[in-house]
Amino acid sequence: MRNAQRILAALAVLGALHLVILLAGFVAPYDPAAQNRDFPFAPPTRIHFVDAYGRAHLRPFIYSLSVRSDTVNEYEEARDKSYPVRFFIQGPAYKLAGLLPLHVHLFGVEGPAQIFLAGTDGYGRDQFSRILYGGQISLAAGLLATGISLLLGLVVGCVSGFYGRWIDESAMRLVELFLVLPWLYFLLAVRSFLPLHISPTQTFLLLVAVIGTIGWARPARLVRGIVLSAKGRKYVIASRGFGASDYYILRRHVLPHTYGVLLTQAALLVPQYVVAEVTLSFLGLGLSEPAPSWGNLLANLQQYNVLISYWWMFAPALALVIVSLGYLQLANAVHELQSGSI
Amino acid sequence: MEIEETARGATTPALVRAVGLSKSYVQRAPFSQKRFVIDALVDVELEVAPASLTALVGESGSGKSTLARCLAMLEKPDGGETWFEGEEISRATDRDLALLRPKIQMVHQDSAGALNPWFTAAQIIAEPLDIQRRESGPMLRSRACELMEEVGLSANWAGRRPLEFSGGQRQRLAIARAIALKPAFLILDESLSGLDLSTQAQVLNLLLDLQKAHSLTYLLISHDLSLIGQVADSVAVMHRGRIVEHGTRQDIFTNPRHAHTRELLNSVRLVESSFRTAQAGGQQ
Amino acid sequence: MNYLERRVIHGMLLLVGVSVLCFAFGALAPGNFFDEMKLNPQISPATVAALRSQYGIDQPLPLRYGRWVRSVIRGEWGYSFAYNCPVRSLLMVRARNTLLLTTLATLLTWLIAIPLGVWTANRRGRWDDRMGMAGSALLLAVPELVVAMLLLYWVVRTHGLPVGGMVSVDFDVLGKQAKLIDLALHLVIPTTTLVLASLPLLVRHIRASVVEVLQAPFVQAARAHGIGGARLLFRYALPAAANPLSSLFGLSVGALLSSSLLVEVITAWPGLGPLLLEAAMARDIYVVVGAVMASAFFMIAGSILADILLVVADPRIRLGSL
Repeated sequence: MRNAQRILAALAVLGALHLVILLAGFVAPYDPAAQNRDFPFAPPTRIHFVDAYGRAHLRPFIYSLSVRSDTVNEYEEARDKSYPVRFFIQGPAYKLAGLLPLHVHLFGVEGPAQIFLAGTDGYGRDQFSRILYGGQISLAAGLLATGISLLLGLVVGCVSGFYGRWIDESAMRLVELFLVLPWLYFLLAVRSFLPLHISPTQTFLLLVAVIGTIGWARPARLVRGIVLSAKGRKYVIASRGFGASDYYILRRHVLPHTYGVLLTQAALLVPQYVVAEVTLSFLGLGLSEPAPSWGNLLANLQQYNVLISYWWMFAPALALVIVSLGYLQLANAVHELQSGSI
Repeated sequence: MEIEETARGATTPALVRAVGLSKSYVQRAPFSQKRFVIDALVDVELEVAPASLTALVGESGSGKSTLARCLAMLEKPDGGETWFEGEEISRATDRDLALLRPKIQMVHQDSAGALNPWFTAAQIIAEPLDIQRRESGPMLRSRACELMEEVGLSANWAGRRPLEFSGGQRQRLAIARAIALKPAFLILDESLSGLDLSTQAQVLNLLLDLQKAHSLTYLLISHDLSLIGQVADSVAVMHRGRIVEHGTRQDIFTNPRHAHTRELLNSVRLVESSFRTAQAGGQQ
Repeated sequence: MNYLERRVIHGMLLLVGVSVLCFAFGALAPGNFFDEMKLNPQISPATVAALRSQYGIDQPLPLRYGRWVRSVIRGEWGYSFAYNCPVRSLLMVRARNTLLLTTLATLLTWLIAIPLGVWTANRRGRWDDRMGMAGSALLLAVPELVVAMLLLYWVVRTHGLPVGGMVSVDFDVLGKQAKLIDLALHLVIPTTTLVLASLPLLVRHIRASVVEVLQAPFVQAARAHGIGGARLLFRYALPAAANPLSSLFGLSVGALLSSSLLVEVITAWPGLGPLLLEAAMARDIYVVVGAVMASAFFMIAGSILADILLVVADPRIRLGSL
């Protein structure tokens, strides 16, 4: 079935991406904070398979970079020595997924050459590594905030639909408000009231909490609809006749119907929230230097000279688009699957 | 208060007694001040003798289902009292209700709607046991299978879902679920309607067997007088929210006193006689 | 009191609610704002003293709120520490600019989306529809942040349009026509970004609504009568889809405002967006409240407008049979 294939494809791409980002320490060749003041704004390192003598090699290799004399930020390859790209190479220490201390990296080159797959920024920091580490922050923020929104939406939807009357009325008014709210204005305002100078961890948690309160409204409304329709079913009435508590009825008869909706909403919310975190960090109200986030990586582009000359600084945008695309495809496919089976 | 004289004994106290029950529904059109009041039950008096089969008849809209729901404690009446086993239950607290519920159970009409289509047969039957925490884990399933066998369904079908059963089998499932908690009083709300005649007979026989085996008391709600004529011990007739007549099967069928009862009986006879005429006259 | 009047009053209550919420948030915030302000070298002691007396900055919350309300009635809307002037003068100009941008973007988006949505609804399942859907899915996945940056990049490389800002430096000396052209040129990037950001979702919704309407019996009947093509689509199907589309419009206002905030910041369009951002960074609290209120006002106005459109477009509501 085409739908199932689409779901699998989307899941595969997303899964691979999330795995790579989770294992950022392993996949990234360098420490994201490591600066190379000699090589600011170096372009992405060219990978060669054919050497200066015209010989082809199976193993890709690179040349070391040297600064072109008398110019700023212009580099050329030093073709005297080639550095083969090695895999599972020993490199700077890191903690895998924040837990396991390791030295081995997926790929890299022997010093003093450096492999900058996505170029470097103004401080000479490897962008590829920063994108991977930054992905950890941005994706984690998106996923956690989605969890918060879904939980909020589930609880409000259940209580509202189940107990009805004034609880329902007031909850639905609130839902209407949140659906129409211009979220970025709301977010900026809330963020502005909170202290600007707090630790990165606190900033992150704060960010997640605030973003998570934007999008609970739509899931709440959908869950409420499901609860309302399930509430009136005869088998729910029969259940009451056996003495079932409200909680039992919600858990066994109503909740199972919500899973599909919650899944679709999750697939829609995650990319939105990742973009929200990226936007906030981009504007300077989210994660700030030196902690990498796709947002503050992209913020470099706000400088005119960076925008014009250093196209590789757009790379985090590509990662963002892939994430969005993957989740949106997943959402579409799940939605179609659902409406087909109902 | 008359104490029912049943065919079985002279002065056994009633198992269930409804005294002056009343219930109204108020419907309000949105954004308007108009209210529609529907008097579903008006001063209802009913007695059900233990181990008997009392029938409740009436046309659609007469309040039969409302009365059933009030007796099953699924709704609270606006006025009046309900007595069960000598105790007043219409104002019972939640604690008391928890103890009472297993004793009064209901089999609903629409079996497809009354059974959660996503549950398996075993889960459906085991649900009351699970809620009341009578059993747990593997014991739940084995008890459910026992009950399935008791109502004439093969335990091999325990994993099937309601829609995989026929209408008659679904009713058996619903009955199995209703007797799981070993109730004393079973309300059958149009449980035999919508079944073809042979299935009806089978389910009816099952019900009668169960009644004997477990000393159950039945309140059978139906609009099918010929069915009632076969099995009921006593009959109560409802019309527009009131019990207009109540007596033994003999009395009602041979000597109906209320105009509405006579109307009901006449319509049955009309159908029967026209059937007989069709059989006799119009046959090829 | 008819429905519209009720909605307006409801909206005003909402605005009051939003303002209370803002102040409440401000009070909840950790850190003493007033002390931080005193430490800020940009704010002169005289200003601080004046603010204290006029706005009761160091007073408890209800007092502060009361003073602010009075300031609103006076027409000042509070005081900006960073700009050293009443908030109102800032708000008016910026709000006007945002209104210009968002209104233009909305009009363009709907002007493009309606024919596109209707046309693709008609050619559902055919190859050009599928390509269109794929393209819009791709566009949907690109966040407006990226769209804005890409457009800027392209413009900068090709030197075709002015980059950022609303008017050129020598705006004032230009002739009337030149002024208009200058404004229009500056509008291109922000407007295009907004349109590209809103288009995919809108087209999809319009398409879905029209597809649904095309299945309706009265449309089938019209088709059976031989009515077809553009006439069928635009005079029969589209009006029937007006109901869901109007509610869609109401819901999209908030999202559009959010998008425009970002676009304004990136393209340096002097609207409410950059104002709010600056104020948020500088904790210029009355400006923040003012900007949020302005956006809330636009949002409410937009949804009331959507309601009016709904009543106008759908005769069933007018005649009360719905």
